[in-house]
Amino acid sequence: MAAMDRSSEARQRVVRVIPIIEGLLLLFLLVLPSFASDFHTIIATRMLLLCLLALSFDLCWGYSGIMTFGQALFFGMSGYVIALLANKADFLQIWGIVPIGMLVGLVVSFFIGWFLLLGKRTPTIIFVALGTLTASYAAERMVAGWQWVGAGNGMSIYDFLKFGSFEIEPGQLFYYIALGFVILGYLASRWLVRSQFGLVLAGMRQNEERLAFFGYRVQAFKALVFCFAGMLAGLGGSLYAHHEGFIGPASMGIGLSTFAVLYALFGGFGTLIGPILGVGAIEVIAFVLSDQDELKNYWPVILGVIMLVVVAYKPAGLLGFVVSDRERIGTFGKVPKGGRGGSA
Amino acid sequence: MSKANKGLSRRGFLKGASALSAAGWVAAGSTWVLKPEWAHAQGPIKMGIATDITGAIAPGGNSNWQVAQFTVKKINDSGGILGRPVELVLEDTASDPGTAVGNVRRLVQQAEVDVILGGITSAMREAIKNPIVRRGKTLYLYPQLYEGQECTPFLWCTGPTPAQQCSELLPYLIKQGNKRFAMPSANYIWPQLLNEWARRVIEENGGEIVFEEYYPLDQLEYSATVSKIMNEGVDHVFNTVIPPGLQAFTKQLYEAGFQDKGGTSSCVYFDENAVNYVPQRELEGVYSCLDWFHTVKDPFSEQLLKEYAEMFPDTKYLFSAGTGSTGMYRGIKLYEQSVIATNGDLARDAVAGALDSASIPEGPGGPAKVVPGSGHVAMNMYIGRAKGGQWDIISEAKMVDPDECGKT
Amino acid sequence: MDAAIKLVFDILAFASIMVLVVSGLAVIASLMGIFNLGHGEFVLLGAYTVYVFRGEGLPEWSGMLAAPILVGIFGLLIEASAIRRLYKSPITAMLATYAIGLIIREVVRGLIGGQYYSIDEPIPGAFLVGDLSFSIWRTVIIGTTVVVMAGCFLLLTRTTIGLQVRGALENPSLARASGVSTTKLYSMTFAFGAALAGLAGALMVPLFSLSADLGVRFLVQAFLSVMLGGVGTFEGPILGAAMIGSMVPGFQWLREIPGVAVAVSPVFAEVLVFVVALTIVKFRPNGLISKGRI
Repeated sequence: MAAMDRSSEARQRVVRVIPIIEGLLLLFLLVLPSFASDFHTIIATRMLLLCLLALSFDLCWGYSGIMTFGQALFFGMSGYVIALLANKADFLQIWGIVPIGMLVGLVVSFFIGWFLLLGKRTPTIIFVALGTLTASYAAERMVAGWQWVGAGNGMSIYDFLKFGSFEIEPGQLFYYIALGFVILGYLASRWLVRSQFGLVLAGMRQNEERLAFFGYRVQAFKALVFCFAGMLAGLGGSLYAHHEGFIGPASMGIGLSTFAVLYALFGGFGTLIGPILGVGAIEVIAFVLSDQDELKNYWPVILGVIMLVVVAYKPAGLLGFVVSDRERIGTFGKVPKGGRGGSA
Repeated sequence: MSKANKGLSRRGFLKGASALSAAGWVAAGSTWVLKPEWAHAQGPIKMGIATDITGAIAPGGNSNWQVAQFTVKKINDSGGILGRPVELVLEDTASDPGTAVGNVRRLVQQAEVDVILGGITSAMREAIKNPIVRRGKTLYLYPQLYEGQECTPFLWCTGPTPAQQCSELLPYLIKQGNKRFAMPSANYIWPQLLNEWARRVIEENGGEIVFEEYYPLDQLEYSATVSKIMNEGVDHVFNTVIPPGLQAFTKQLYEAGFQDKGGTSSCVYFDENAVNYVPQRELEGVYSCLDWFHTVKDPFSEQLLKEYAEMFPDTKYLFSAGTGSTGMYRGIKLYEQSVIATNGDLARDAVAGALDSASIPEGPGGPAKVVPGSGHVAMNMYIGRAKGGQWDIISEAKMVDPDECGKT
Repeated sequence: MDAAIKLVFDILAFASIMVLVVSGLAVIASLMGIFNLGHGEFVLLGAYTVYVFRGEGLPEWSGMLAAPILVGIFGLLIEASAIRRLYKSPITAMLATYAIGLIIREVVRGLIGGQYYSIDEPIPGAFLVGDLSFSIWRTVIIGTTVVVMAGCFLLLTRTTIGLQVRGALENPSLARASGVSTTKLYSMTFAFGAALAGLAGALMVPLFSLSADLGVRFLVQAFLSVMLGGVGTFEGPILGAAMIGSMVPGFQWLREIPGVAVAVSPVFAEVLVFVVALTIVKFRPNGLISKGRI
């Protein structure tokens, strides 16, 4: 990593901030349950699971230019399958729940991705955005009207997640399990975006057509990222359903999908740590505001204002305050010997 | 995050908090509580209210909450329960079952209440009964009219059931000459199970069901449905469509000339709030069947209404039957009677034992009595018909049986 | 036969509402390349205006006349304050409009207290033709839509402004070079689109009821209409809107066909609209009518 500093001018000789943030955050998350009450640990676990959703959105939009307005679809769909397994088949084992959740996310995102992204013509970015939006909206309305999956009531899961006969109640243990999966998901995403594959993604971000001329099947790459992201969201959704003991139509609709967008934008999209900070920031604000009598009802309005301000005035998000544009955008791939120079 | 923890006080937010601070509101640690004005050596009896203060169901939730305050104030003003005052603790379930599960947990674990009342929609009851009754080992009273078949131990339903709402109304309608029924419905559990019951009653009484259909809650276009109603000679529409789909449906039905051609309809959640949902001319002549209407001639009920209006002048949250407010009053009073019966023992099993045969001599719409072993309440039921924005009382049935959980 | 006439009338009425909603959206999307995710809330504002006027004791029709003007002015302000700086990046602009929509929706929700309100039509009731009764208000909506669309068409084809719009659509830089102020043109377009939305909201609210989610309900369908018809033409989105507007009530009739009745529940019919529309767009990405014909 130091190679980058050596290779360039003084203006680039800045301390890299992201690893520091990552380290501090990890430390904080590891010790959190030791000073937080059970109630707050449970709230924090919920946030961790939402991080997976935020991360999955960011992989799509921040790294491969797929504007997905329906990322909650994969999250919620997997939650529904897990709730069905629990209610109809009495299956609560974590070793089965996690891979099934990921698989559901993967399969659903594969079909959506195949329909929206692949084909003879390159779809417009607007088509993809509206397509994902429609898919998530239609799915929400579908489950909301389908009695077998609880219709508008959604589904409660009465029993706890299990490993063998041991029950994993929401609390400290569940928190660390969730944290473990978030770290795994984060590392996997980081590996993906920094590998050779990630280099292609970065190239696509710069100029899609140029990459296409080089012979890359740009849409296939996009579809791959989309599937990976869907899988991450599915993982989050499966654990979320068990943690909350409840899954409803809103968990796969436009509302939560928009939150995914908001998390990433607010934290800083195009970095992996940004969305996670975004989840933390937005959920903590929401939590604090829910105690403020005068402000509580205006929380959605405040969210809208935050979103507008970020979009119009601070596209780099929270992270933009502490991280330079160069570090934010330029951290992918292994730096070749002799430095990379001005890749832009 | 640690900062957020500190900000955690007063989670159960109250919309009219400023107005009510005079009535004894204090922020005590974690939750808004309504402290009684006097103390007792054993401390107060803690009653938890979990209802929708914000969100889509907020109008109903706030009515429930105001009625709870009203009822508890009356109890405390007349010396409490066996000399012990009642303290109310509110948690907002925010019309969102996901949020509610967490908030209810606080009532049980942090406030350690002796009983919880609340929940309006079936989705909410489904979501919070587990944390209250099973994991929380606390008594739960559910106040709203609902679809029936809730037989969870330690859960009492104090609102009317399908049997109570249908078994008077439908035979009456059939006697009036309505033979062919249509059942347009919103697609969720309440209409589904209610219709199941209604279908049975209609068929037993010689009526006939032309169709039974379920629409998305906010469907805006009902031309196919209305056309079928008009073309297939439907006499009566047993309507369980709810807002926001409701208005589009009633308007299309009205404009197709259904009422003009002699058709009638009924909607069993319609109460004094109905004029907000449906214009008066479309409401005219619609039947409803509930445990109370404001027009019921009962001195005690009329007095209640008067006192409620004094406590909450000009409120838009009515003390009416369609939103669970009557069930809320009944639930609190039945609980009071049970605690008197156990001689002040608040243990769950003891109170539950007493509640099983509890009764109150008077209430909104009349007396109420728990049917032993059923977890439901027998009460008076009234058939009302909308006329000029009021409900004309067509008939009154005394102490109708809830017919739930295998007990009649 | 009677049933068929009723069916056509009902479909026509609903499609008219869709056309009004969609045309506002399409005008903005075509000329400025921005998909206004807050469009549904402009519709809501139109409906809300009627509610406010009624609350002040004014008749409903006055609110309906005022709605397009007030919402148009509001659109002008939004354009000048936020949208203008985002022309270069349509996706960012889309996110911004979503945020604006969210703000409007939640403010309105706060103002009406989360309730549903019924609003009377200025001319209630129905008229009879033979044995069939037709809603007067729906007839008014159909008529208004036809008049407004004809007006728009004349505006585009017969006036200087229309010429400028067509020029800017064809080639913005050339239009600028020829002395057309595209900035001004865009502002006017945005305001005009908003005004159309306001009109749509004001006209439709008596049929449905006023709730904060009134606009959202139409948003996805409106988008699909624009995609379906094709961006950049006048008749494309109108055709798309007419198609979606017919499918929504039309598919509800599918269950009257013996044999398929069981499969086509009302819920399924609704979802089917989305599936059909998306599939068409997938295979005709430029829409039913290709660009450049105005």
